[in-house]
Amino acid sequence: MLETLHDPSSSPTGGPRLAATARGLTRTYGRGDNAVHALRGVDLDLPAGRFTAVMGASGSGKSTLMHCLAGLDQPTYGTVTVAGTELQSLDDTRLTVFRREHLGFVFQSFNLLPMLTARQNVLLPLELAGRRLDGETRERFDRVVAVLGLADRLDHRPGELSGGQQQRVAIARALVTRPALVFADEPTGNLDSRSSAEVLGFLRRSVRELGQTVVMVTHELEAASYADDVVVISDGRVRAHLVGPTPDAVLAALRGQEIGA
Amino acid sequence: MRTVLLASLRTHTRRYVAAALAVAIGVAFVVTTGILSSATKDGMVSSVGVPYENADLVVSGLDGDQAAAVVERARERGDHASVLGWSLLPLAEDGRRVSDRVEVGALADGEALRWQELRDGTFPGQAGEAVADVNAAKSLGLEVGDRLQVGTGARAADVTLVGLVDTPSASVAADLYLPWDAVAPIARTLYVDSIAYDVAGPADPQVRPLERFSGATVQAADQFVVDRQAEITKDVDIVAIVLLVFATIALFVAVLVIANTFSILFAQRARDFALLRCVGATRRQVLRSVRIEGLVLGLVAAATGVLAGTGTGHLLVAVARDRFDEGTIGEPSPSAGWYLGGLLLGVVATVAASWFPTRRVVAVGPLEALQPAGAVDPRTPAGVVRLAAGVLVLVAGVAALVLAMADHEVPPMLAGGAATFTGVLLLGPVLVPPLVRLAGLVSGRLLGSPGRLAAANAVRNPRRTAATTASLLVGVTLTTAVLTGMATSRTAVDDEMDQSHPVDLTLTSTGAELPATLLDDVLATDGVRAAAALPGTTARVSGIGEVQLLAADRAAVDDVVHGEPAIVVPGPDQVLVPWDSLGAGQAGGDQVRVTVDGTARTLTLRGGDGWGSAAVVAPETLTALTGGAATGTRSVWVQAEDGADPEDLGGDLDALGAPAGAELANGLGERAWVYLQLDVLTASVVALLGIAVVIALIGIGNTLGLSVLERGREHALLRALGLTRRQLRSLLGAEAVLLSVTATLLGTALGIAYAWVGVRTMVEPAVEAATLQLPVPQLVVVVLVAAVAGLLACVLPARRAARTAPAAGLALE
Ligand SMILES: Nc1ncnc2c1ncn2[C@@H]1O[C@H](COP(=O)(O)OP(=O)(O)OP(=O)(O)O)[C@@H](O)[C@H]1O
Ligand SMILES: [Mg+2]
Repeated sequence: MLETLHDPSSSPTGGPRLAATARGLTRTYGRGDNAVHALRGVDLDLPAGRFTAVMGASGSGKSTLMHCLAGLDQPTYGTVTVAGTELQSLDDTRLTVFRREHLGFVFQSFNLLPMLTARQNVLLPLELAGRRLDGETRERFDRVVAVLGLADRLDHRPGELSGGQQQRVAIARALVTRPALVFADEPTGNLDSRSSAEVLGFLRRSVRELGQTVVMVTHELEAASYADDVVVISDGRVRAHLVGPTPDAVLAALRGQEIGA
Repeated sequence: MRTVLLASLRTHTRRYVAAALAVAIGVAFVVTTGILSSATKDGMVSSVGVPYENADLVVSGLDGDQAAAVVERARERGDHASVLGWSLLPLAEDGRRVSDRVEVGALADGEALRWQELRDGTFPGQAGEAVADVNAAKSLGLEVGDRLQVGTGARAADVTLVGLVDTPSASVAADLYLPWDAVAPIARTLYVDSIAYDVAGPADPQVRPLERFSGATVQAADQFVVDRQAEITKDVDIVAIVLLVFATIALFVAVLVIANTFSILFAQRARDFALLRCVGATRRQVLRSVRIEGLVLGLVAAATGVLAGTGTGHLLVAVARDRFDEGTIGEPSPSAGWYLGGLLLGVVATVAASWFPTRRVVAVGPLEALQPAGAVDPRTPAGVVRLAAGVLVLVAGVAALVLAMADHEVPPMLAGGAATFTGVLLLGPVLVPPLVRLAGLVSGRLLGSPGRLAAANAVRNPRRTAATTASLLVGVTLTTAVLTGMATSRTAVDDEMDQSHPVDLTLTSTGAELPATLLDDVLATDGVRAAAALPGTTARVSGIGEVQLLAADRAAVDDVVHGEPAIVVPGPDQVLVPWDSLGAGQAGGDQVRVTVDGTARTLTLRGGDGWGSAAVVAPETLTALTGGAATGTRSVWVQAEDGADPEDLGGDLDALGAPAGAELANGLGERAWVYLQLDVLTASVVALLGIAVVIALIGIGNTLGLSVLERGREHALLRALGLTRRQLRSLLGAEAVLLSVTATLLGTALGIAYAWVGVRTMVEPAVEAATLQLPVPQLVVVVLVAAVAGLLACVLPARRAARTAPAAGLALE
């Protein structure tokens, strides 16, 4: 069963619907001799309804790219458009509201507010937006919770959950608002292989069954194998955008970069 | 956002306890003040009228002699007059001194003006009987039937206690009441508050004649009572305002403590805030949430304070009513304003204290949630603006202080004091850490690596270090300034005491020669440092009557007189007479005739004080008056050892002198009484400031407790690397002591500086060559108390830190 979103960025001409685009994205930290060029002019189109993995060596700029795409960080140059809205045109409050309504996040660790229960953490974005738990959102909540298998852990606090369960709560929170785009930065970095598989499986199910768009930063091949597409980045530039690649193709792309870099 | 707010309130409650306690104490202080002042007002105001209930007129503003004249006149006319006042006299029971100073008042002749209420026994029916106040009797150990001697020497009166009374008026109450006829002989020594006057007939026509007769103020009784009530209300209000000043100091310290608590808590929760921002909380939402948190804390703390203050106030009132005369403390009925004001003050203080820390919260960007744990540095550098402002304010303040000292003006001194102190607080982040580091050298020596680590930890966050020490600095600076100022003004009081009480104790004959052995007996008494026997005789002085005339030889009395002996050694043509035995209309400089056995001399009258009731002349004058006949000892003058107990020594000497008919004058007791007043004043001020110090120490414990939570991983790592539990505890203890001792030393230095400025400004114009006196032992006690209290403050956090197992600490996120 497949639930699709109404995507405002779907082109009337019927081309692939884009969840996000970046043009000439540049991010420089510091200046002068100390300047670090984390991103050097990235152009990227992320199609809707797909699970994209961003891969690259440590320090290659993956996290920076994600932060810029998510409006958490201001690029030095370039533009980001998400769900039809150019992020650079928004002030802080508008940007926050935009994030709240159109984006979801899953981080490597420290995803949840320790003083809230799992249920409260999941519902947090709705509460921040002042949305009441009406029929439609309740249905969505129940569905997400059911898909992620969290129903019996909802009244526990993060401290009482395992790492994998915590990540599942974070995923539920990212999905409950039906965001146009879910970002995940190394969501399995702290997990063992079984929990990793579990979490990645859920992310994939959210794309397949809930129709979400997910962008995941990772440096594990294993993790990337759950994704539909793989973006390889090195030294602040996109080196390859592979659609439905085989593991070998991804490995080759990564190797190529290492040699090339 | 409500869920977040409620959850964080629930989760962080424990971390807010100390801050809430600080506010609550300040608020409780305010409310207690309100309750006490209202109860005092109620008691005093409602009791003012009691002694005047049946009086038509009130005569006030007159002395004992005038009062005696008014009573005489009333008796002649068939009116009634009751003298309301007292004389401080020694009291003995069967020859044993009970007290050096008992308030002896007069009982009205007629029933109508007798306002005391009989509790036991009867009112005096004849001369030689007396009644005592119930409470005074309890504290002096008197019972109905006791035989008492009131006063000493010639004017001593023997009375039997026949009853106990309640005295339901605070303003004119005494300990012991004698019938007027027994008081009349000592009328001159009376302090007269007023006379209740009952006219036998219409009162109005009597106002003018009475006014003309007495030369005093005559008012209708109702009017007098109304005026007196207004006066008392004003006095109580002034006391309440003084107390509120201390409450303000306490609240100010509380504000420092809360501001620091918020800063620390918010720094620790920066990642929470960042995460909230990530998942879509706007800046305003986060800001509103933390501000409501502050508001709730303020409300809860202030309400707790109001409750605690109400409880404390009622408790104090109950204790006071039990111990004081009826008519001092009444029903506490503070206006709602006190409660509301206290509540408001607490809330405003908390919200104001949270303002700047909450502003820093919104500076947290969403990205900070994505940094690995520990990357969010709670370190806050001291802002340049803050430092510049600090220097500016400090320089302006010093200028004001210099001006104050030059012109002897108090307002610039207060302004300068406030400004320099603000400057020091602002400069704290650059001023305090080096001092802590300096003190850390010592702790490193003493404790080894935990000591050095403690010093490093204490200065890790300069702003936090400064804020933590600032709260203690306030209390210690003020305490030191008060102690030093008091010690210095005490030297001025010393000079004055030497003037008014040149001799500690005297035993003076009441008519006969004293035994030759008396001097040796006196010298053998414990607590006597030196004694001198003075020869003399009985003489008559015109306008005064029969007196003992002593000859003071400069060389002989030099040893027993405080200060300059000339005070008690008259010139050859002078006679020195106590001020209170001067006859009506007599004054210093008058010529008087002094007669001994028919030989008379005209001498210049000089008034003085402090050697009893005898008159004093130069030795050659006495020789001339007695025609060279031998004169025996008529008085023994005594200087006590330092620290001798005035009551004990007085009692011992009285026991020696009484069989020989000698009268004791106890200047040492008077001196001790004055010093006691000073000590009580100092102690009250220090105790009131102590509340601010307690709040500050709660603050230090709190900072440390919060830091311990923050450093859980670090401590676990240290423990894993081999730091023992004991070492960890001493690490935290050393940190607390470093902070409190540094604050105390800095505060002591500042306090001494302020005391110096205060002395130069206020005391120097009055007392020449006033030099700063450092009460070194007291200051040492202040430093030690701060150090020990600092240690106590860290007990709880240190225990918690040491209890956590290393593995649990490392697992902390
Ligand atoms: N706040 C910052 N200040 C300065 N340089 C930064 C900052 N954040 C990131 N960088 C630099 O930018 C570059 C890209 O960092 P980024 O975090 O995007 O790498 P990454 O690909 O996510 O690495 P990893 O796999 O280790 O997480 C790195 O060289 C990093 O040192
Ligand atoms: Mg990264």
